[in-house]
Amino acid sequence: MKKGMHNKDCTCWSCPAINLAGKVDFRACGQSVEQIKKFQDEKGGGHIMAECRRRPELGLYDPMAITFQECPEWQDTEYGYLLKNMRVMILGIDGYLGWTLALWLGKLGCKVSGIDNYSRRNWVKERGTHTVVPIARMTERLHAAKEVLGIDIYFRELDVLDKVALTEFLKEVKPEAIVHYAECPSAPYSMIDFEHAKNVQSNNVIGTLSTLFAIHEAVPESTLIKLGTMGEYGAPLTGRPLFEGFFPADAVLKWQDKEWSLGGELTPRDPVSFYHISKVQDTFNVYEACKYWWLRSYDVMQGVIYGVHTDEVAADPRLRTRFDIDEWFGTIINRFVAQAIVGIPLTLYGAGEQIRGFIALEDAMQCITRLIAKPPEPGQYGVVNQMSGYYKLRELAETVAAIGKKSFGLDVQIQRVENPRVESERHPFNPIFSKLPDEFGFVQKDNIEQEVSRMFSLLLQPNIKSRIEEKRHLILPKTWWSGQKKEVERIELYK
Amino acid sequence: MNIKILNDYNFEKEVLQPKTPVLVEFWASWCPPCKMMEPLLDELAKEFAGRVLVAKLNVDQYRDLAAAYPVMGVPSFFIFKLGKIVSGPHIGAQSKTRLQKIIEEQMDRVG
Ligand SMILES: NC(=O)c1ccc[n+]([C@@H]2O[C@H](COP(=O)([O-])OP(=O)(O)OC[C@H]3O[C@@H](n4cnc5c(N)ncnc54)[C@H](O)[C@@H]3O)[C@@H](O)[C@H]2O)c1
Repeated sequence: MKKGMHNKDCTCWSCPAINLAGKVDFRACGQSVEQIKKFQDEKGGGHIMAECRRRPELGLYDPMAITFQECPEWQDTEYGYLLKNMRVMILGIDGYLGWTLALWLGKLGCKVSGIDNYSRRNWVKERGTHTVVPIARMTERLHAAKEVLGIDIYFRELDVLDKVALTEFLKEVKPEAIVHYAECPSAPYSMIDFEHAKNVQSNNVIGTLSTLFAIHEAVPESTLIKLGTMGEYGAPLTGRPLFEGFFPADAVLKWQDKEWSLGGELTPRDPVSFYHISKVQDTFNVYEACKYWWLRSYDVMQGVIYGVHTDEVAADPRLRTRFDIDEWFGTIINRFVAQAIVGIPLTLYGAGEQIRGFIALEDAMQCITRLIAKPPEPGQYGVVNQMSGYYKLRELAETVAAIGKKSFGLDVQIQRVENPRVESERHPFNPIFSKLPDEFGFVQKDNIEQEVSRMFSLLLQPNIKSRIEEKRHLILPKTWWSGQKKEVERIELYK
Repeated sequence: MNIKILNDYNFEKEVLQPKTPVLVEFWASWCPPCKMMEPLLDELAKEFAGRVLVAKLNVDQYRDLAAAYPVMGVPSFFIFKLGKIVSGPHIGAQSKTRLQKIIEEQMDRVG
């Protein structure tokens, strides 16, 4: 594929600037045809017509006639054609990924807006921990974004569960793409007790439901990029492939002496915590909403993110994104680096043979940008598995330990402890993740070695190192899937 | 992309006039099984290039055309020859071997 041009043949049919309202009767099978009939009688011609919100001078025209490459509103960028000053709204803009994406898209020329209700800051405070990379207050973040990068971000403090306020904000801003990060991202947090499970599930599930209703009402032609997780699939012991959401066309179900096509059916989900279950419920809500209301969405089954770097967040200390290392909110590679720095042996749960998919922060930003650039078609619910590779956790620990030793002179050990989770510790893993590279032109730019070195360099700064030290007692897990609360015991220590 | 995209201007010429068989998928963008069929149809189009045209029609965009054929759900597959349906509707996602078989049956009868 020619670099960056994955979306050159898309037409106005999938452009969020199109206005199809009342002009297309979707669901040809079984829906009323009166409106379209009337329209066709008035205007003549059998094929559909639309208007462009950005170029009203075109009048009514055939939306299949103009490609992104031909349209002056879609401009050449490193990540494909992107709408000029594209309006992108980020739900959960104060988070690890949300803030990073805001600066990234702002730098690309998008008009970024966003909402957050700071619940992540509150959950972290409630657990008695903190982000070890200090982050500024939102007002200061916005100010620094303007001062350092020249980016204007339009922020509103808002809870996504407040459907009325969200709808109003959407109507005001009219985003052409919406990236929905605003959920509680933690499996262990959801396993603490009933209150936490309930809060995670209601925040995530009802938040997404609210978002869907608000989009339907305010901006139905906009793209919804919804964040799911690879953990929705689980790790089936048969080793069957983890397809991207759906079975491929030639998959068949064989039973007794009969065969049925499975093509296009949702694949089985096997979530591994109450948090992951909320994501599976989201999947069904988004899938159905696309069907009922012809919304357009990509559901991103995201691998575990690691890293601290994009050029934008590194441009000024006030622009840094959060970085958590505690048992609830730290992700595994990030935690390994922090453990190495304060001399805690890198902790593997159980056998340590679990395999997971991973992607660096910067690569994740690239993926989301490429998805925004190639919007789904009306009614399309697409799924991508977003990861750049998969690894055994033990191998990752060894990689981090080796980098810590070789490049930073640290004495790093690795330990196995009791596994507080209920999960397979040895399992096959066969994820399919070819859509982003094949259809969206994603090219991996960062890798574990480079990003782990960057993390070491940042986290070894004395003020950050001391913030890790302060919370070192919150690194080893005490939250058991069984409901127990106790320290895990060491099974084995390796040098 | 080797699949012929149909519309109300080219349907007559591409589907109804040729003497060779034409495989037509009636599809919609909100239909996951249809989306899944895309790469597979593309492969078939390549395999049968010059012998059988593989084409698709979006039923939302050209509903009048779709209404003229017994499209009860999407995706629906038909084989047209000399303006007539000679096979189908085959409803729902189909495996590649199944579609190959359906096409080859009609090719045997050419002549
Ligand atoms: N970080 C990862 O490794 C990873 C991996 C897979 C999936 N994800 C998913 O990606 C998304 C973002 O993850 P993250 O790591 O940036 O998490 P994060 O907690 O840093 O960001 C989420 C943001 O959303 C906000 N938020 C939560 N509920 C809200 C609500 N009801 N109203 C308004 N704002 C709300 C939080 O305050 C926070 O700022 C999440 O959906 C997460 O599940 C993350």
